[in-house]
Amino acid sequence: MNFFKGMKLRQREALQGYMFVFPWIVGFIVFTAGPLLFSLYAAFTNYDITSRMDFIGLANFQRLFARDKLFSTAVYNTVYYVVLSVPLRTVCGVLLAVLLNQSAHFRRFFRTVYYMPSVLSGVAVYLLWMQLLSPSSGLINMLLEMVGIQGPAWLFDPRWTKPALILMNLWGVGGTMLLYLANLQSVPRQLYEAAEIDGAGVVQRFFKITVPMITPVIFFNVVTGFISAFQIFQEAYVMSTDKGGPLNSLLFYNLYLWKQAFEQFNMGYASAMAWLLFAAVMVITLLNLRLSKKWVYYEGGE
Amino acid sequence: MSANVAKRPLWKSQRFRLNLYRWLVTLFLVGGAVVILSPVWWMVSTSLKSMQEIYRYPPTVIPEVFHWDNYIKAWLSAPFTRYLLNTVFLTVIGVATNITSNSFIAYGFSKIRFPGREVMFAVVLGTMMIPGFVTLVPQYVLFAKLRWIDTYLPLLVPGLFGNAFFIFLIRQFFLTIPNELVEAAKIDGANHLYIWSRLMLPLIKPALITVGIMAFNGKWNDFLGPLLYINSEQKYTLQIGLTIFRGTVQTQWNYLMAASVIALVPVILIFFIFQRYFIEGINVQSGMTG
Amino acid sequence: MNRLRKSVSLLVVLLTLSALLLSAAVSAQEKVEIELWTFWGSETRRPIIERIVEEFNNSQDRIVVKHVYSPWGDIWTKTLAAVAAGDPPQVVVNDINNVALRAWKKQAMDLTPFIDDVEEFSSQFFPELWKTVVWEDGVYGVPFNTDTRFFMWNKDHFAEVGLDPEKPPTTWAELEEYALKLDKIQGNRIERLGFYPLFGNFGRDTWMIVGDNGVSWLDDEGNPRINTPHKVETLEWLIKWRERIGGRNVDAFQAEFGSQAADPFISGKLSMMVNIANHYTQIRDYGQHLNVGYAPVPEREPGSGSWSWGGGFVLEIPYGAKHAEEAFEFIKWACGPEAQRYWAVMNFDNVANIEGSYLAAEDERLSPEGQEVYRLSVENLHWTIMTPVPHNLAGYMDLVNPQLDAAFLGVKSPQEALDQAQRDVEEFIRNAEQ
Repeated sequence: MNFFKGMKLRQREALQGYMFVFPWIVGFIVFTAGPLLFSLYAAFTNYDITSRMDFIGLANFQRLFARDKLFSTAVYNTVYYVVLSVPLRTVCGVLLAVLLNQSAHFRRFFRTVYYMPSVLSGVAVYLLWMQLLSPSSGLINMLLEMVGIQGPAWLFDPRWTKPALILMNLWGVGGTMLLYLANLQSVPRQLYEAAEIDGAGVVQRFFKITVPMITPVIFFNVVTGFISAFQIFQEAYVMSTDKGGPLNSLLFYNLYLWKQAFEQFNMGYASAMAWLLFAAVMVITLLNLRLSKKWVYYEGGE
Repeated sequence: MSANVAKRPLWKSQRFRLNLYRWLVTLFLVGGAVVILSPVWWMVSTSLKSMQEIYRYPPTVIPEVFHWDNYIKAWLSAPFTRYLLNTVFLTVIGVATNITSNSFIAYGFSKIRFPGREVMFAVVLGTMMIPGFVTLVPQYVLFAKLRWIDTYLPLLVPGLFGNAFFIFLIRQFFLTIPNELVEAAKIDGANHLYIWSRLMLPLIKPALITVGIMAFNGKWNDFLGPLLYINSEQKYTLQIGLTIFRGTVQTQWNYLMAASVIALVPVILIFFIFQRYFIEGINVQSGMTG
Repeated sequence: MNRLRKSVSLLVVLLTLSALLLSAAVSAQEKVEIELWTFWGSETRRPIIERIVEEFNNSQDRIVVKHVYSPWGDIWTKTLAAVAAGDPPQVVVNDINNVALRAWKKQAMDLTPFIDDVEEFSSQFFPELWKTVVWEDGVYGVPFNTDTRFFMWNKDHFAEVGLDPEKPPTTWAELEEYALKLDKIQGNRIERLGFYPLFGNFGRDTWMIVGDNGVSWLDDEGNPRINTPHKVETLEWLIKWRERIGGRNVDAFQAEFGSQAADPFISGKLSMMVNIANHYTQIRDYGQHLNVGYAPVPEREPGSGSWSWGGGFVLEIPYGAKHAEEAFEFIKWACGPEAQRYWAVMNFDNVANIEGSYLAAEDERLSPEGQEVYRLSVENLHWTIMTPVPHNLAGYMDLVNPQLDAAFLGVKSPQEALDQAQRDVEEFIRNAEQ
């Protein structure tokens, strides 16, 4: 008797669950699945968008690994960027959010100011940064000069091009800050008060209360940060010389993919690259999901 | 207790320390704001310069003559009012559908157990990992087959069915809400539709506002969508309009920046207005002023 | 009264009849609407192309052209998607250097069926430009506009240091000599720079053409000619400039130029440069106080040739477009002498049509100085090389550019860098042939 009742309840739960995700399933089948499967098939063809699509087996992948020198350059550049940019953005975003959650004067104004860069997007901003990064008259090096540092040539020195982009993207960290800020609002005040009574200092409170309570959003930012960092494109497209230079130092994975797809029309080859990237990012994400059980704290349990 | 406080010198009092702390934080924020705002300043100052002055080297920090009429001239050099209305239309619908559909779907992925949920969620995440360049053409062909080219449908309809990024985000916020709340409501006989709309949505208000702000930015700044699917200029959006200042030979920097500043104002305003709900969130929970 | 009523009703009948007849005639000759996609949306360019469109629409009553602006660069992504979907616009402005690739990929339509006599038709255009639209036995576009680069110098600076303001340098040796005189460098600070080859609008590739007697990276048969002695020499020469002025200073100047905002030449910080003809309009509009001379590019040595380089755009009919015949009617009009003359004069652009070019150089809407500079630009087309990319070699520059970077950064010697580039491109060709 009890058993049947349980079954029924669980079925009813499941039915309601499907009802809630139903819109997504419909959207996926109608709009997303088709193009995705098409590009997956294209990865095994010589598809060029307009004139041919013949099955060529694994030839695209063979060429990527065996004969394409630029592919490894692109992988190196992208990994370099991801490894530095994702942790930096996460740490800076958390610190900024905590700072802007402190009691300070004109807090609303400051939140808006720090958030502003993240909404400034598009080509105009990248062109603007090219001027800010100009070696002699650019604002960045002028600021560095004030503290006695001779700034590098940034976009003209292959050693400094990627750090320049990382710096620029750090400027726009306000977007992630916003998420932390939203999450911080759900941290109960009482927790802090209790900790203060127990004699916990600022640093302890930060690591013992603030960070654990916002781990769900940190986790979100790490996962989506990886996904988007691996796909860095427009910055490099606009700010590099000859689309990837100098010395191919800004030839990121997606930029190279774009060149293959829309300059040379090797869309089959580009699709192979895309699905390779998918596999790599998927592995990282699944690893993240697995690891998250160790450090992400869900009040709602999971 | 009160006698104790009275004996302390002023600089040791709780209130003084709190105040000092406040001012220190503020000072620090001012320093950061200067750095953050300097590129924005450059943008504004360029928007007010004449082209002659822009061509000067080294560049001037403050315009010699303030050309406020750049804003009017920039605005009139294309049907920008029309573009603005189109953008507002797309953005308002986009924000409304995104908040509703994504919070609905995310609730299913976080608060209800059903077979296949984890796999499905992995697929949700997976859709974000494929570079859009390789699905661009088949997607376009699909919309062409539906005869949706040169309409707003490709820009509006997919939003009804959720967006992976927002589903994931709202799911994370739902997961911070204790399950006991849901269980208690179920024992009271509530179904999930009721729990979602009456219990959960109010609880994740800061998250919904965040999603709203982000969706607003996304729609407001969307470039590729209108570019690909719209062929009639009277249906163009602000972001497409802004490109007319970027010439192949010469860029109208002052007009470009002036129009960009105008396009930026609504985004900043929206944020400034809606962020106060964060502070209200604090008030509700602890009764303390922020 | 009766008579009046009769005549009125007769009139009504007549009117109705004629209206019916007229509408029948119109519907029998339904107008064909075609779309023209361009990236000319700026305040200066848009009215010019729209005027050309309007005049075409008024010149006949069969075809109506509708102009649609689409942003630079993205316009081609959009066109590509539309071709893939089978419903592209009728006419698109596209890059002149990759016509062969688009022909090969079936993105552009062969226009020969619409041309009665290809030889006669092509004779309207500068041969170097026509060359770019021919692939195998077909014609896949019609050249519309182009550009050319020549030498510009600040006459006041010349006078100031005791050089004859009317005599520009004609060889690289003179160029160096003059530059040293014009430089104003105090310690680490550049107050004025006489010359630096890459400031202006003349890249490494184009200096290679000047240095190698008019031969680009590929010869006419598509064979790589990258590590020729003249090219190695030219690269060494370019690097010598960089070393003399100092890499850091060069980068600083370049940053200003590269982002297009500040202009050292107009600001009087640079005395000589090579730039596109159209730059004249910016000097005219934003540098009124400047006293500028214009001349061909200095040659490597006397007799080696004042070579220059040009890009440009063609009008194409995307593959699968409906009403291709009508679309070609418009292309003929837009690339004809009158429309081309109008475009040339209003934009100060070089155009593909020979007659249109010479008409523009005489056009009274240009100032006497404007006419003179324009004439120079037309004459300069005889020295101007186009570098269309063979259909199967798209992207080969991705292999050359990093090697040039390496040489400039001192990672490799010019000889090593160009040898490597030569080998890489040869391998690329072998792979493409497989």
